[in-house]
Amino acid sequence: MLISKSKRCDGSAHQASEVRGAMLERDFDIVIVGGGGAGLRAAIAAAEQTRENGSGQRIALLSKVYPMRSHTVAAEGGAAAVTSAEDSLQAHFDDTVAGSDWLAEQGVVDYFVRHAHRELVQMERWGCPWSRQDDGSIQVRRFGGMKTARTWFAADKTGFHLLHTLFQTSLKYAEIERLDEYFVLDIAVTDGAVAGVIALQVATGELTLLRTKAVVLATGGAGRLFRFNTNAGIVTGDGMAIAYRHGVALRDMEFVQYHPTGLPGSGILITEACRGEGGILLNKDGYRYLQDYGLGPETPLGQPQNKYMELGPRDKLSQAFWQEQQAGRTGSFAGSDVVYLDLRHLGEAVLKERLPFICDLAKSYINVDPVHEPIPIRPAVHYTMGGIETGAECETRIKGLFAAGECASVGLHGANRLGSNSLTELLVFGRLAGERASRVAAEHDFVDARPGQEQARRQQAALATLCEGSSEENWVALKHELIQAMENGCGIYRTEAGMQDALDNVRKLRERYRHIRVNDKSSIYNTELLECIELGFGLDIAEATCLGALERRESRGAHQRLDEGMQKRDDLHCLKHSQVFYRGDASAELQWQDVDVSISAPAERVYGEAGRTASQGGQGAHS
Amino acid sequence: MQKSSDALPPLKRTWWLKHRYFVAYMVREATVLPLLFFAACLIAGMIALLRSDAAWSSWLEFMSAAPVLMLNGLALVASLYHAWTFFQLFPRVMPLRIAGRTLPSQAIVAGQWAGVVLVLLLFVWLFTGGAR
Amino acid sequence: MSTKSIRIKRYLPEQADEAYWQRYEVPVDDSTSLLDALTHIKETLDSSLSYRWSCRMAICGSCGVMVNGMPKLGCKTFLRNYPADIRIEPLAHFPVRRDLMVDMEVFLEHLAAVKPYLIDTAAENTEPYRQTPTQLARYKQFANCINCGLCYSACPQFGLNPEFLGPAAIALAHRYNLDSRDQGKAQRMAELNRHEGVWSCTFVGFCSEVCPKHVDPAAAVNQGKVEAAKHTLIALFKG
Repeated sequence: MLISKSKRCDGSAHQASEVRGAMLERDFDIVIVGGGGAGLRAAIAAAEQTRENGSGQRIALLSKVYPMRSHTVAAEGGAAAVTSAEDSLQAHFDDTVAGSDWLAEQGVVDYFVRHAHRELVQMERWGCPWSRQDDGSIQVRRFGGMKTARTWFAADKTGFHLLHTLFQTSLKYAEIERLDEYFVLDIAVTDGAVAGVIALQVATGELTLLRTKAVVLATGGAGRLFRFNTNAGIVTGDGMAIAYRHGVALRDMEFVQYHPTGLPGSGILITEACRGEGGILLNKDGYRYLQDYGLGPETPLGQPQNKYMELGPRDKLSQAFWQEQQAGRTGSFAGSDVVYLDLRHLGEAVLKERLPFICDLAKSYINVDPVHEPIPIRPAVHYTMGGIETGAECETRIKGLFAAGECASVGLHGANRLGSNSLTELLVFGRLAGERASRVAAEHDFVDARPGQEQARRQQAALATLCEGSSEENWVALKHELIQAMENGCGIYRTEAGMQDALDNVRKLRERYRHIRVNDKSSIYNTELLECIELGFGLDIAEATCLGALERRESRGAHQRLDEGMQKRDDLHCLKHSQVFYRGDASAELQWQDVDVSISAPAERVYGEAGRTASQGGQGAHS
Repeated sequence: MQKSSDALPPLKRTWWLKHRYFVAYMVREATVLPLLFFAACLIAGMIALLRSDAAWSSWLEFMSAAPVLMLNGLALVASLYHAWTFFQLFPRVMPLRIAGRTLPSQAIVAGQWAGVVLVLLLFVWLFTGGAR
Repeated sequence: MSTKSIRIKRYLPEQADEAYWQRYEVPVDDSTSLLDALTHIKETLDSSLSYRWSCRMAICGSCGVMVNGMPKLGCKTFLRNYPADIRIEPLAHFPVRRDLMVDMEVFLEHLAAVKPYLIDTAAENTEPYRQTPTQLARYKQFANCINCGLCYSACPQFGLNPEFLGPAAIALAHRYNLDSRDQGKAQRMAELNRHEGVWSCTFVGFCSEVCPKHVDPAAAVNQGKVEAAKHTLIALFKG
């Protein structure tokens, strides 16, 4: 097909084929938005299901980048599933629920731990190069907050291998049609049911309306709302904002995970597996400071112990960094306050075999060789625990609209996610969403196209406005103000005043965003336009995050307040999910939703020696 | 729908001059030219030997001419250079494994040069009357 | 912090038919990557500059460009290593769509052509395969390809004939052929054992030089030739 020579960035196509009302229209039974781990898994699940029942469904897989560029690729450490004979589903359940500070949906966690192993084996059957033991069976490693070693890994590039295995496997299925470099602007909703997806083909600037019966959003998190983050540039929360604008709640958005070990400056991720393999954290005096924060006693060098010291959960470790920083015990590297991750005692051979990528990253980006020097690190925003509210089977309150992966809040992570649960989540819930979407598509027919076309035309008009004339407001300035506001207000520790300030700022930025214009008016690969739209998505999500944070008047998991009387968890008033609803140009609204604690009653969340004592005393009661 | 490869820009004939790596590659490939000359010389020698004594002596004379010596000297250097590049590449094409462990490349390269030295020694032995 | 000057080959098809060079001054320090410099240009100097990027840690494979004639990942190219004259062009041998954006479709077609997935003729099984570390080590290196396409820009044979499957696709096919769990070698041979398969390669070897992940695709292609030759011989004897 020839590139349309349209000279405007409003998406109107002048020479394209199949043009109806100046935009392309196509029909698919299922549209999957996002080509990362969850999206690919959903696409494969739907393809297998339609192949099995002979329904001949057509599946579109849209991604704003080529699927193998998706951020799943950057996951390093591994994927958790109960594997060894000594381990139990109950233990994985308990770790995840305690890790979530009892804000996880326990029925969902139960489903997750039961299906985790099956999914990892499926990846193995598809060729994922998992690391092995000498006898050829799967090797597992320790991970933070997990009681025992249950994390499958492929060296320190687990996400990379998972994503490429899924992408390559997806090529087997003729049912899946990939639409690479399609930027999704909106979904079409008719009578409370999803009816289509409106996307911009980046290469040509043409708008496309994909009519469909079911949509799976698998668009990833929103880590790019923050200045220091471990996330790729594409992690801008597009899908979250799209669902939110159509009335689906964003749930638990105040819980933003800081990964304790990012590189100073860039925020590039240094995997938790470093600590799983025995790496230790030191302050500037060479002291293992974690023992002062309820994670001790100190474990001997080279003998890491689950749930102790460096293998505590991410929120606790990031909080300990902040305390050390306040006490002036952090060092300095490239203008950042840092602590040190020491791997030297592991020796060159182990580092080369188990953590080759980390060695390469440290050498390239900060010129530190982990074999000979400790790596300076600092916490960086890593993961969005909250997201698009879904039921236990990944469906949102809009019929036929599903969400899976980091963009979704199916209720697995609660207030804090455990490392290596998210890669497994992509597989377990990606598959579930794909299967359910396929079933919904089989039970329904295409709805009347006109409302969808109407919505697409509104998008077209919005694009035209963005490209019209010029303005004082510029996306770069707004973006920098946004990430600064989020950094100031929604950091590792939060205060009433700080969060109120951030919320006010974000609301002002949303107001200013309405006047924004892009300088680049072209239609072919107009990346400025895309950045602008992403910023608009980000501003809406940021409001939800700030509002959720401000209204949660307690400290739980990744949400820690310094305000008087709110420094502890408050189950009496706050054992609830926050739900934020979009109200157009007006301020967003917050509601509270009960949490499923039907299996394990909330208990104190403790690690280190205190955790051992507590589990001997109490946890057996609900197992 | 046109094939996406149709739109690719064609490469100019001088592509290999753009980068020293490509020049080195072309030199490697060009070693065949002096080697061809050397092979032609050998064939001509054999034909001369079969024809007559006169033909043989004029072939000997031809072979000792300075330009011919120079060309054949070049062929020797070229064949050594080609061998060097070939030996470097060999372990990557035919990685050798013994008892499940891959032999280090340097060992394979060294083994190949040892082979060259052995063949040379064999010829020295043959031509210095060792066979009698 | 000092500044450096970068020249970028611009191409804006909606404004002009020809590409042109544009010079930018960018601030640099010891850790400034080319991607940082491009971001600086886009955000402060010229918002119309288009390029691909995502992970900024050399694993997503988005940001390949030519730096002084060498294919490189922008995020792993540090300006400190370029004392003077930095010329940035889109990846060679691919059709340029705009600025540093090239059309990767041909690359993806070639990847898909080699059946890059595990083929197991055995019945459905829900047990994990056994694979020893030694068996894993045989193909692991070839499984590290990030699909950045630098090797295609380094390969003159692909430049001369874009129908050539090329280094990354053949390395990926070889990765599965070497996998102890796979039984699809014979199926992949149809693609590999033909002129546009392994036999277009003349072992220039530059693909392996530029590979940011040390996959050594040249080795894979040439090991593929050995396999293809074996395959032909066996077919000959079988009649």
